[in-house]
Amino acid sequence: MSAATRASRQGKESRQRLLRRFRIVRLVRRGRTPEDSPDDAAVRRRLGVGFWLAIVWLVAIAFVALFAPMLPIADPTEVAFGGPRESPSLDAWFGTDALGRDVFSRTMYGARISLAVGGFAIVFGMVVGGALGILAGYYRGRLDQAVGFVFFVLLSFPALVLAILITATLERSLLVVSLTIGILAVAPVGLLARASTLVYAEREFVAAARVLGAKHGRIIVRELLPNVVIPMGALTLLGMAVAVVAEGSLAFLGLSVAGDDAISWGKMIVDGAGLRDLQNATHVAMLPVAVMFVTVLALNFAGDRIRQYFDVKELPF
Amino acid sequence: MARFLIRRLVLLVAVLFAVTFLGFSAMNFLGDPLFNVVGLMAELDCEGIEAGTVEDTSMDRARSDCETVAAARAEYHLDRPVPVRYVLWVSDLATGDFGTSFQNDQPVSEIIREKLPETLILLVMAQIVSLGVAIPWGVFAAYRANRAFDRTSTVVSFGLLSVPNFALAVVLLYLLALRWQVFPSAYESDTAVGLVFSMILPAVTLGLPLAASYQRLLRTDLITTLQEDFVHMARAKGLPPMRIMFRHALRPSMFSVVTVFGVSTGAMIGGSLVVEQIFGIPGIGREIVTAVVRDDFPVVLAIVMLVACAFVIINFMVDLLYGWLDPRVRAR
Amino acid sequence: MAAEATPAPAPLLSVRDLHVRFPTERGTVNAVNGVSFDLYEGRTLAIVGESGSGKSVTAKTLMNLLPRTALVGGDVIYDDQDVRALAAAGTKHFFGVQMTMVFQDPMTSLNPVKKVGEQIAETLRYHLGRSRGEAWDEAEDLLSQVGMPEPARRVSQYPHELSGGLRQRVVIAMALACRPRLLIADEPTTAVDVTVQKHLLDLLDELRRDRGMSMILITHDLGVAHGRADDVAVMYAGRIVETADARTLFFDMRHPYTEALLRSIPRIEDPVKHRLDPIPGRPPELVSPPDACAFAPRCIYAQAGCLDGVPELSGLVGLHRFACLNPTGTERGADALAANRAAGTTAAGLALPAAQAGTG
Repeated sequence: MSAATRASRQGKESRQRLLRRFRIVRLVRRGRTPEDSPDDAAVRRRLGVGFWLAIVWLVAIAFVALFAPMLPIADPTEVAFGGPRESPSLDAWFGTDALGRDVFSRTMYGARISLAVGGFAIVFGMVVGGALGILAGYYRGRLDQAVGFVFFVLLSFPALVLAILITATLERSLLVVSLTIGILAVAPVGLLARASTLVYAEREFVAAARVLGAKHGRIIVRELLPNVVIPMGALTLLGMAVAVVAEGSLAFLGLSVAGDDAISWGKMIVDGAGLRDLQNATHVAMLPVAVMFVTVLALNFAGDRIRQYFDVKELPF
Repeated sequence: MARFLIRRLVLLVAVLFAVTFLGFSAMNFLGDPLFNVVGLMAELDCEGIEAGTVEDTSMDRARSDCETVAAARAEYHLDRPVPVRYVLWVSDLATGDFGTSFQNDQPVSEIIREKLPETLILLVMAQIVSLGVAIPWGVFAAYRANRAFDRTSTVVSFGLLSVPNFALAVVLLYLLALRWQVFPSAYESDTAVGLVFSMILPAVTLGLPLAASYQRLLRTDLITTLQEDFVHMARAKGLPPMRIMFRHALRPSMFSVVTVFGVSTGAMIGGSLVVEQIFGIPGIGREIVTAVVRDDFPVVLAIVMLVACAFVIINFMVDLLYGWLDPRVRAR
Repeated sequence: MAAEATPAPAPLLSVRDLHVRFPTERGTVNAVNGVSFDLYEGRTLAIVGESGSGKSVTAKTLMNLLPRTALVGGDVIYDDQDVRALAAAGTKHFFGVQMTMVFQDPMTSLNPVKKVGEQIAETLRYHLGRSRGEAWDEAEDLLSQVGMPEPARRVSQYPHELSGGLRQRVVIAMALACRPRLLIADEPTTAVDVTVQKHLLDLLDELRRDRGMSMILITHDLGVAHGRADDVAVMYAGRIVETADARTLFFDMRHPYTEALLRSIPRIEDPVKHRLDPIPGRPPELVSPPDACAFAPRCIYAQAGCLDGVPELSGLVGLHRFACLNPTGTERGADALAANRAAGTTAAGLALPAAQAGTG
């Protein structure tokens, strides 16, 4: 009896240490304290104007990315569309770059790779990381330790180093780049899924299902998954922001999707970031920077609002 | 405590093993290491040449090339299977031999010794910038939570978190180095002062977004701490507000920041790849990008291992730091 | 009786018409509704009430510890100084030196990351300008004054290394460090073991006497107030419903709530199988309270008049005052109770069981 209680307490303590390690004790806030200031609560219940502005921007960018070839904009690869390094004008809204290509149309096309990679990566991370995390959190024991170790290894590999390792050795197709960044998303998403599974696996409804004789698979799919998907889904847009930035960094290092027609914001920025270009044709680098900034900001802002709306705790990764 | 240390040590070794094996296999399976050492000579059909079944315009040169290839194979154990090669590499490592670069035959340990200090200076300065900015910022935001300053700083920190490192670098470079010419636009190493001065811009580039995330975490935790009884008690003792914030509330509110400090080291090293590239800093970040592009895998592996090592050790120190932050952790 | 006992001409602390409101999502909480009392030098006032009665909020208001969102009205005068104005001006060396507070839970009211000695010494260094060494020695001295065993060892321990009772001693030592003239003790023993409660209360009382300090003792337990308080104020729904000197209140109470509170305390002289009388019903709603006596729904004396307007506190400050239309121990009250028993229900709809009626 006492040995059993001690064992369970030890298990509890080590779990608590782990929980603290990844700061998930308060991941999903259960109750609201009366001290919560009323403003905070009001913010949480409504998404607000800013959220919808961000969504409008994201929808617009996504629209442009999808239908870029059908839009009445210049061919982004056409060299000498205008003179080199022309300032923004009515003809070329964002001016032209060193090769005389239209910066506006390039920026619009650039959204395609950024959003495709960002979207694919986060979906991959959620499917793989989510599955691993839920299994680890539900079954615990050996499996949990193994998965935890894999996550820790993935996290100890500096993300960008891992990414350049993969993209430098493989052919840099859209799929490879997306997969690479998707792999980076596995560990953080997995830890989140594991954490929320731990929280819910303790709850009464799971215990009830188990007592009623439900099989493991059924408990995971019917009882845990819907609850774990909420915090995961709430963080989708935030994760996508990270993925878009990661793709940009790779492109900046010349290691994102290869090819002249593979236009990416990161690549455009590095093209315009030479000291001479920066000095004389600031727009070549700054306008893509601005569009990228607003897009990432919109993802972060909308993502954070959704996070607050579903009352999910901020994550440190 | 001893058990804790041993467990950490085992974890460190296991992680290093996994990380290097992963990197080693990736470099070997994904590229052809022989080609990286000897270049086009790797294409030679040496067995055929030896057996005389392959004719070449100048057999002598072909033979000597084949000798070079054979020497390279021997040196890098390329004729052995990958796991064996890995073990050989590890045993070399145990004797302090990091191998030599494929590119210029320079010992890897020398390369690291040369490049590491610049990166360390950069990272330390970046952490100083981020903590130096984040702590007062977070404290004031939490002190007047939901007031004008706090609301503004939420917007600002969102902005900072949404600027990719490379974009921030370009913007700062343009504004502070080119437009207003406050800081130099590139790395200088003539004097120590000049070195530190030229590192300010890169450190700010790395540190500011981190400062924003520290600030957000610190603010949230501080607001929670400020509702604790001991803070009320400190107020009942008549201590002035700022003294309470810094002396009583700050330390118990540092858990998240310290956790992120550990985790963010990885992100920062990643960021340093980009930042070193832009500001022309000859550190290990720039070195690894070059090495990866050239498939110079002894260099890549050594740096990857170094970084993973640093990551594990820093997170280990973070665990020790918890004990300082909260004496109750120490008791366990 | 009560008037004769009043010793000094001017009270040390005088509270007039104190109101505290908290705007929340569900509406405004009327936590304190017009509380007035005087506290004279060297005396102890016990404020008694259930949780939610506004007693702790009153204490926090005096110490300026309310969250910023709280709306406060009324006057708090300490030794001819306007405390709320002092607090707003950020006057140094007032709180902690003139008046200070001891909190309910010693587990949470000490900073977990600082040694207890540091926490005591800190006050001495800030308010009295002591050097590090002096303050440390004084902290040790204070610990021995509050009966801490092995004070020399305890000063350099962390709170988590001490038991609840010892921690509360640390809190008391901390509060007394600068020799305040007024101590507000908010449920000082609720969170500690029953076995050390009495000990701590007696210690507090003894220290108070030695130092000639005044004290406001906040408690939900009339038993705690008994024998330690000079005056008692009973609070209900943010109002003082009855206040008098301790003797009068315990032996000649007028408010049915005070009576009910006393009945709900177990007494040693009660027969073993004696049934305690819990107060029926639940504490009142503080958001948009009805314009009626807040206790009426739980009161066995309630008449139609009780539901029409909030009864005023009778008499003058300093005398036995109560806010009740049908006070217990008076003819009016006895009539009201008899009428309710006969009807089997009060005017507010509280059922009075027949069995109970039979005993009356």
